[in-house]
Amino acid sequence: MSDYKSVRVTRGRGGWGGPLTITPTPDKPLIYSVTGGGIHPVAARIAELTGGEAFDGFKSSAPFDKIAVAVIDCGGTARVGVYPMKKVLTVDIHATSPAGPLANFITEELFVSGVKPDDVEEV
Amino acid sequence: MSGIAAATRVVYESTVTAVGGQVEAFLDHGLLIFFGEESPAELHDMSVRHRPTVREEGPRPGDVIVLGTQELEVLAVGEVVADNLLNLGHLDLKADGGTEARLPGDVCVAVQPLPLLHAGDVFRIVRGGVAAGPAAGTAGVAS
Repeated sequence: MSDYKSVRVTRGRGGWGGPLTITPTPDKPLIYSVTGGGIHPVAARIAELTGGEAFDGFKSSAPFDKIAVAVIDCGGTARVGVYPMKKVLTVDIHATSPAGPLANFITEELFVSGVKPDDVEEV
Repeated sequence: MSGIAAATRVVYESTVTAVGGQVEAFLDHGLLIFFGEESPAELHDMSVRHRPTVREEGPRPGDVIVLGTQELEVLAVGEVVADNLLNLGHLDLKADGGTEARLPGDVCVAVQPLPLLHAGDVFRIVRGGVAAGPAAGTAGVAS
């Protein structure tokens, strides 16, 4: 099989949702960073601990079914909903709670927020 | 035009390049989402994409956001708005009348219908009074 490992991501201070367990697979290897300024440190840490492939969503796009987790720095409305809507596990750097037209897609099983690198732990 | 404050300055200006299929539905929620052209494909359907020509600063309360022919006075701005706009071309515009941003990405303007933009329309942020007179206070609605 593969050498992928799992991590557990818990909500940070003021955050919401989770915890999420993230395990990349050969079919779903991407740690998808949709943040400004390249691969966010939280995405880099998840990739390092799991063996997943860090991927910059602002450089090129990937199909949803290749994404093990999306790491976003959403201030609350757009990105915060679109990945959970597609059932993609979503980690928000900012401490947002469900809001906006897509809020009903945002569940504790799919979404965790307020996350810092220290909130990512090996399982 | 007359009575314009001396220090009027465009801090951000951009041209709309594409408007996603879900944008009109979001307008019914008083919400308009912008992203730069390089944003991931999955965000295109819900957002107005655009190509900036001036990218100096994010909005502040009191600035005026000009969307096509409509002018909107900024009432409140969340803490991550400037980074989002300057790095990603991303803006969440909410016509909710909020005087405090409830979410860190919010830019709040008065409750009003937001325009459906089209490719080629210009989007800019102006500081120092477009609609507002030199005495400050409320922005003029008529022009």
